[in-house]
Amino acid sequence: MKLLSFAAVTLLIFTSENTLVGKWSGKPSEKGNVTSVNFKADNTLEGFVNKKPFVSGTYNFNPVDSTIFFIDNGCNGVSAVYKILFYSNSDSMRFQVISDACEERKQGMQRLVMGKVK
Amino acid sequence: MKYCILLAVITGVAGLEAATPAPSPDKKEELGKLLFFDPILSKNYKISCATCHKPRFAFADSAALSKGVKGKKGTRNTPTAMNIALSKTFFWDGRSSTLEQQALEPIQNPDEMNLSIEEAVQRLSKHERYNQYFKKIFGSGPTKENLAIAIASFERILETSDSPFDKWKFSDDPKAVSDAVKRGFAVFNTKGKCVKCHFGADFTAQEFRNVGLFNGRTLNDSGRARITNDPKDVGRFKTSSLRNIAITAPYMHNGMFHSLDEVIEFYNDTKKIVPDAINKDSLLVEPLGLTKQEKKDLKAFLNSLTDKRFKK
Repeated sequence: MKLLSFAAVTLLIFTSENTLVGKWSGKPSEKGNVTSVNFKADNTLEGFVNKKPFVSGTYNFNPVDSTIFFIDNGCNGVSAVYKILFYSNSDSMRFQVISDACEERKQGMQRLVMGKVK
Repeated sequence: MKYCILLAVITGVAGLEAATPAPSPDKKEELGKLLFFDPILSKNYKISCATCHKPRFAFADSAALSKGVKGKKGTRNTPTAMNIALSKTFFWDGRSSTLEQQALEPIQNPDEMNLSIEEAVQRLSKHERYNQYFKKIFGSGPTKENLAIAIASFERILETSDSPFDKWKFSDDPKAVSDAVKRGFAVFNTKGKCVKCHFGADFTAQEFRNVGLFNGRTLNDSGRARITNDPKDVGRFKTSSLRNIAITAPYMHNGMFHSLDEVIEFYNDTKKIVPDAINKDSLLVEPLGLTKQEKKDLKAFLNSLTDKRFKK
C-alpha cells in the first residue's frame, strides 16, 4: 500500500512537472500581439512577445499545489508567486496571483491565458 | 544599322520601364510604403520620409542631424522607424501618443518636409494614381486621416525578430551566438544595469530617462520637459530600442556618440564625458566599473541584436 502511494505521488510529480515544461502561447491580443513562454527543464524561463524575447528568468514549480515561484530580469529583481490553473487536459493554463509586488507584471500575468504549443 | 536598331530597342525598353508605374497597392501598408518613399510629400518634391529614415540603416539616418527641404539641420537625431509597433509614445520627447499623429508631423515640420497637410492632401487628390489607390483602399479620396493611417500602417510592419540573439532565445539554439554575446547579455542584466531602462521585446521600457546629457549650456535640449513643463522631466528623453543598434549610429538624441564603444564608455562613467549634468537619473550617478572584457562582451551582445536581413 505504501509502495503504491509512493508510486502515485512520484507519478503525479513527474507528470505535473512535465505538464509545465515546454512552450506555451497565448491568443493574439486586441492589438494583435502574441505572448508566449518557454518553461525549460533546467528551471529557466524565457518570455516572448511576437517571437521577440522580452524576459528571462528562473522558476520553481510545485506540482503538488501548482504554484510557481519565479524571478525575471524585469521588475528590479522582485520575485513573484502564482498559482497555475490548468484545464482542457492540461493543454491550457492561466495564472492566479498569490503575491507579486510588480504591478505591471501582475496586470500582464492576470490577463494571460495560454495553450501548449505542440 | 544593326547597332542603331539595338540602341533603339534598349532606349525603348528603358523608357517603358521608366513609364511603368509601381503595382497598385491592395492594402493600407502597401499604400503607406509608396507614400513613405515618395518626395511628393515635401514642399520642394525632393525629400521623402525615407530620405532620413534610410532602410539600410534600419530606417534611421547615418548623420547626427538630418537635413530638411531648406538644407537646414534638424535638432535631434533621426530615430529608427523600425520596431515601433509596441511603442506607446513617439519622438524623443514622446509628444505623439499614436503612430498616426507621428506620421504627419515631419511632413508639416518647416525644418523637415515643410508641407502643410492640406497641401499634401490636395497634391495626392490631384494625382491620378494616388487618388485611385486611396479610393480603392479607403473608399474615399485622400484625407488627412487616411494619409496618416496609410503611413502608420506601413511603419507598423517594420518589425525585426530574426537576429542571432532572437535565434538563441526563441529557437533555443545556443550555437546561434558566441560565448561573448552570452557574457555580454549577463553584463546587460547585472553590472551594466542596462536592463533597468532597456527592458522589453524591443529593449526599451518606453520610459523617459535623463542619462546625463543635459547641463543647461552646451547640452541644453530639455527633452520631455518641453512637453510636460514638469521640472522632473528636464533632460529626459525616450529610451531608444536597441534592436539593430549596431547599424543606427550615431547615438543619443543629438547623435553625439559615433560608435557603440563611445556609448559604453559614456555609460561606464558618465561624469567623465559630461561632468556637470543636471537632473541625471540616479542609476547613473556612480560609475559602473566595467572591465575591458565586460565592455567588449557587452558590445558583442549589442551587435547580436542586428536582424539577419542587414547581414552583408
